[in-house]
Amino acid sequence: MKAKRISWKEIKRQKFLMICTACFVVYGIIFYYLPLAGWIMAFQNYKPKDGFLGSEFVGLEKFKFLFSDATFLQVIRNTLAMGILNLVATFVMAIVFAILLNEVRLVVGKKLVQTISYLPHFLSWIIVTGILHDALSSTGVVNELLTNWGILDGPVNFFANKSYFWPIVAFANVWKETGWNAIVYLAAITSIDPGLYEAVTIDGGGRWAKIRHITLPSIKPTIMILLIMNIGNVLNAGFEVQYLLGNGLVKSVSDTIDIYTLTWGISQNDYSLGTAAGIFKSVVAIVLIFAANKFAKRNGEQGMF
Amino acid sequence: MKKATWQRVAAALLMAVMLLGVAGCSKGEDGDIIQFTMFGAMPQPEINDDNEIMNLIAEKVGVKVKETWLTGQTAAEAIGTIIAGGDYPDFIDGGEAMMALYDEGVLVPWDDYLEKYPNLKELFTDQEWDALRQDDGKIYWANQFQNNYGENRATTHNDEAFWIQVRVLEWAGYPEINTLDEYYDVLTRYAEANPTMADGTKVIPYTMLCDDWRYFCIENAPQFLDGYPNDGSVIVDKENLKIVDYNTTPTAKRYFTKLNEEYKKGTIDIEFATQTYDEYIAKLSTGAVLGMCDQWWDFYGTVNDTFKQQGLDLLGCNYVPLGLTIDEGMDNRWHTYGDTLNVSCGIAVTTSCKDPDAAFKFMNDILDQEIHDLRFWGIKDVDYLVDEDGMFYKTPEMRMQWADKSYQASHRCLYAYMPQWRGTSRDGKNAMMPEEQTSEFFSDLAEPLRKCFEAYGANNYPDMIGSVVEENAPWFPMYSYSNAMTTATPGGVAWTKMGEVKHEWLPRIVMADDFEAAWEQYMAAYNAVNPQDFLSEMQEELNRRAS
Amino acid sequence: MSKQWKPKSSLGDKVFVVCNTIFLAAFVIITLYPVLNTVALSFNNGIDAVRGGIHLLPRVFTLQNYKTVLGQQNIITGAYISVARTVVGTILALAANALLAYVVSRKRFLFRSQLSLFWVITMYVSGGMIPTLILYRNLGLTGTFWVYVIPGMISVFNMLVLRTYMMGLPEGLEESAQIDGANDFTIFVRIISPLCKPVYATVALFVAVGQWNSWFDVMLYNRMNTKYTTLQYELMKLLSSVMQQGGSASSAGQGAAAAVTPVTVRAAATVVTMLPIICLYPFLQRYFVAGMTLGSVKE
Repeated sequence: MKAKRISWKEIKRQKFLMICTACFVVYGIIFYYLPLAGWIMAFQNYKPKDGFLGSEFVGLEKFKFLFSDATFLQVIRNTLAMGILNLVATFVMAIVFAILLNEVRLVVGKKLVQTISYLPHFLSWIIVTGILHDALSSTGVVNELLTNWGILDGPVNFFANKSYFWPIVAFANVWKETGWNAIVYLAAITSIDPGLYEAVTIDGGGRWAKIRHITLPSIKPTIMILLIMNIGNVLNAGFEVQYLLGNGLVKSVSDTIDIYTLTWGISQNDYSLGTAAGIFKSVVAIVLIFAANKFAKRNGEQGMF
Repeated sequence: MKKATWQRVAAALLMAVMLLGVAGCSKGEDGDIIQFTMFGAMPQPEINDDNEIMNLIAEKVGVKVKETWLTGQTAAEAIGTIIAGGDYPDFIDGGEAMMALYDEGVLVPWDDYLEKYPNLKELFTDQEWDALRQDDGKIYWANQFQNNYGENRATTHNDEAFWIQVRVLEWAGYPEINTLDEYYDVLTRYAEANPTMADGTKVIPYTMLCDDWRYFCIENAPQFLDGYPNDGSVIVDKENLKIVDYNTTPTAKRYFTKLNEEYKKGTIDIEFATQTYDEYIAKLSTGAVLGMCDQWWDFYGTVNDTFKQQGLDLLGCNYVPLGLTIDEGMDNRWHTYGDTLNVSCGIAVTTSCKDPDAAFKFMNDILDQEIHDLRFWGIKDVDYLVDEDGMFYKTPEMRMQWADKSYQASHRCLYAYMPQWRGTSRDGKNAMMPEEQTSEFFSDLAEPLRKCFEAYGANNYPDMIGSVVEENAPWFPMYSYSNAMTTATPGGVAWTKMGEVKHEWLPRIVMADDFEAAWEQYMAAYNAVNPQDFLSEMQEELNRRAS
Repeated sequence: MSKQWKPKSSLGDKVFVVCNTIFLAAFVIITLYPVLNTVALSFNNGIDAVRGGIHLLPRVFTLQNYKTVLGQQNIITGAYISVARTVVGTILALAANALLAYVVSRKRFLFRSQLSLFWVITMYVSGGMIPTLILYRNLGLTGTFWVYVIPGMISVFNMLVLRTYMMGLPEGLEESAQIDGANDFTIFVRIISPLCKPVYATVALFVAVGQWNSWFDVMLYNRMNTKYTTLQYELMKLLSSVMQQGGSASSAGQGAAAAVTPVTVRAAATVVTMLPIICLYPFLQRYFVAGMTLGSVKE
C-alpha cells in the first residue's frame, strides 16, 4: 500500500466514492462482522435462555476439549485431505478441460461441449449425490459396465470401502464443477494475442509447444488468483456431499469439521463447542489466505488485496 | 427498449413483493377461528391449507392448526436451530430432542389445564401422568401413541420382529420357525429354489438397514432373542433388578456370528451397510426381499401400498412377523401387549403461544369421539358407512380413496401428532382407528396372508408372533430415559459415543473375513468409550422407577 | 483465432487431435449420461425403476412422478416466491456488487485497498449459523421475504470478477468524462456500466442460480411461514415425506397408492427445477466468456 496524500480537495472530489464506501462498510459491519460477536460463545458455556451476557464464561475450556478429542483431530485430517484433493482435482481438470476445448477447431463442436459441460453445475448437491448413489449401487450403471467388461466378477459396494470415499467425493466435485470452473480459463485464453501463437508456429513449434509456452503462461495470473482465493477454502471441504454420501462404515474418513460442528454444536446443543470449531476454521483460513497472498505478490503476481 | 422492459418487469415484481410483505402482516385470526402453528420434528406429508376435514374441525372447535414437519435435517438439528433462533411455534413435538426444549424453559406446564380439560386428563392414569413429570415435578408433554381406550384392538404387530414373506412360508409348508438358524435356513432354501421374481429381478434373501438412527434394525435384536421386551437401550433383569448390556451378551455374539456366516454365504444383501432408508424401502417394494428385521411402522406404509398396486400381495409378498429366540423353547416378548408410554417425547405447548388455554382446549376437543372419528375415520357416508348395528365399515372404493395421497392432502386431517386414542371407541363397538376394526382388517387382507394366518391358527399379526401376554413392568420402556440423555452427563456422552462405535462396527463385523478378530477389535473400541458410565446412569434410573 | 493456425498435420498433431477428441467425447458422455438418465427416470414407474437397468429411455412410462411433484400444494406460490427472490435478489446483488467493484477499482480512490481487504476477510470468517440467525431475528428479517435478498448481497468472488473487468477498461474514458465535469455516479452509470454488460450478465447468472437453488435459508428463516417458502423447499419437503406414509401415527395405509419412489420423484423434481435455468442460459451464455475475466489485467 503506497502512502497517498490526503487532502480535503481530494476527499471532496471523491465524495461519491466516500459515501458508497461508508454505506458498504456499514452494511458489511452489520451483516458480516456483527455475527462475529457470536464468537464470544466459544469462551462460554452458552445457553440460549441466558443469552450472551448471562452465560457462564469458561475461558479456553472448549478449545482444550476440542484439541484433546481424538474425533476432532480425525475430522481435521479428513477435512484437509478432502479439501486438498478436491482443490487439486477440480483445478487441474478445469485447466486441462479449458485448454483441450480451446484446441477444438470445429466451432459447433466446441460450443456444444461447452454448453453440456456447465449442466451439472446447476444441480444441487442433494441431486448429484442421489445420482451418484444410484450409479454406484449394486444395480447401478458402474457395476453393470464393470461386470459386463469382465473387470469385476460381481457387483462391488463402493460405499462400504473406506479407501474409495475420498476419490468418490473428489470425482463428484470434478463432475459437478469442471465445466463451470473452466469458463474463467476459457475467457483468459480467448484474450491471448493470436500473434504469439503465430510466432511459435513460425519457430516450428507444434501444439504442445503452443500450450506450454503461450497458453499456460498467459493464464497463469488467473490460475494464481483463483488458487489464492480457494486456498482459504481448503477447510471448507464441504458438508453436504459427505453428509449425504457417508454412512456408518466410512464415518471415520467421511466426517468433516462442518459435520462435527453440526452434530456436537447443534444436535447436542453445545453451541459453544460448535462455535469454537468454527473459529478454528476461520483462523486457519485467514492465515492461509494471507500467506498465499503474500507469496503471490512476492513472486510478482497480482494479489487479491 | 429492452432495458425499459426489464425495468418494468423488475418494478412490477418489486411491487408484488411489497404487497406480499404487507399481506404477511395480517395473520393470526381468521374470523373467529384461531390459527395455531405446530412443528413436528419428524418427516410427515403436509396437508393443504384448505383441507376439508381440517376446516370442518375448525368450525366445530374454533381452532385450526397449521402443521409443518421436518425437512432435510435431523430432529436434533431442527430443534437445535429453533432453540438458537428463539422462534417457536404454538405446538411442538421435538421427537428425540424434547429434553432440549424443556431445558430451555419454553414449554407450558400441563398441570393446571389437566383439571380443566377432562379429555386430556383421561388420556393417562395418575401413575402414567407421574411418569411424565420432569425433575421440577411438572408435566410438559404427553405422548400420543400406543394408548388404548377400553379394550385393546390391535390387529397389527406395531413393533419389531424378524419378518418373512408369506410366500416363503407357503412354499415351505408353513413350518414352525423359532430360531435364527431355522429362519435363515428357510430363506436360503427358498432363494435357491426361486432365484428370481417373475419379472427377472433377483431375489434378496435377507437385508438389514443401517442408515442413521434406523440402525436399530441390526442393533437391538439381541435383547429380543434373549426373550426380553423392547426396553430399547438395555435389558432389565427382572429377578434382581439389574441393568444388563445386551451388546456384549453371549447371545449378541452368537447373533452377529450368525449374520457373519450368512453374509459370507451370500444370504445377506451386499449393500445392507450402505443403503439409505429410501433405497431400502424401494427395495422392499419390489417384493424381492424375503426377510428383514425391522419395526412394522418403519416399513409397512409404502411397502404394503405398492404391493397392492402391483398385485404382489396376491403373490404372497406381504410380510408376517416371527417371534424368534436364540434357542428353541424360550418365551419371547417381541410384541408389547400393554400400552407403551414413551415418556421421552410428545406434544407440547410453547411459551410463544399467546393463548395457551385455547391450545389445551383444542387438544381436549379433538379427543371428543365425534372429532376423533372425523380425524381417523373421516366423514360419515363419504369416507365410511355405518351398518344397522352401528358398526363402521368402508367400501373398497372408500379405502382406495382414503389411501390416495392427493385425497389425503385435500381431505384427510389426522392431526397425527396430537393426542389420540387406539383401542375401542366410546360407543363400545367400533375401533378408534379403522385399521384396528376387525372387519376392516379382514376385508383388506390379501388371500395368501389370510391362508397363512389360517395355517398358523392366527387371527392377526400379534398371534403370529406368539409373545408372552403380560402387563408391562413399571419401568418399561427404559429407552424413554436413554432417548432423553444429553451430553451434559458422562453417561450421555458414553451413550452418544457407543452409538457411533456400534454404527461403524456392527456392519463391519458382519462383513469381516475374520469374525473373531473383528469382534475383538469391536469390543476394544466399545469398551474404550466407557459404556459403564451409561449403564450406571441407567441403573440409577431403574432404581428410581422401580421404587 | 483458429483459422490463423495453419493446418500443419504432423504426426504429433494427429495423435493429439485423436486423443483430444476421445477425451472430450468421454467427458461429454460422463457429464450428459446422468442428466439424460435422470430425465428417463422421471418418466418411469417408480417401483420398476428400483430394479435398475434404465438408461436413456423409460421402461414403464408414466407421468405420475410429475403429477406428484406438480400436485404438491404451495408449488405455485413456491414458484412465485422463487422467481421473485431470483429477480429481486439478482438485481440487488448485481447493483451492490457492481457499485462496490466500481469503488474499489478506482485507482485514485484513497481507501481502495482497505475497502478490498475489509471485504475479502468476510469471505473466510463467519460468525456461524447461530449468531447469524439471532442477528436476523433481531433485525426483524426472519419470517419475511427480505431475508432472502438483503443479507448476503455482496459476494466477494463476484465483486472480484467485476473489479478485474472494470480495471481492464481503458482509463482514458473515465479521464475524459471527468474533464467534462462528470461525477463518479455519472461515470459509473453512463460510462462504465454499459461497457460491463458481458460481466454483468455473467455475475447475474451466478447470483440467479444461487438464489434459484437455495432452500436451506428458507428452512432456517421461514420454516413456519408457508407464505414465503420457495419451490426448492417445497420439493425438499416432498422428497423427505414421500417415503413416510404410515409411520407410527398416520396409518390406514390400506388401498393402493400410486407407485412413486424417491428415486423417480427426485428425478422429476430435478427436471422441474433445472428447466428454467436451462431455458435461460443460452441467452446469457454468449456473454460468459467475454465477461469472466479474473487475474491479470491487460494494459
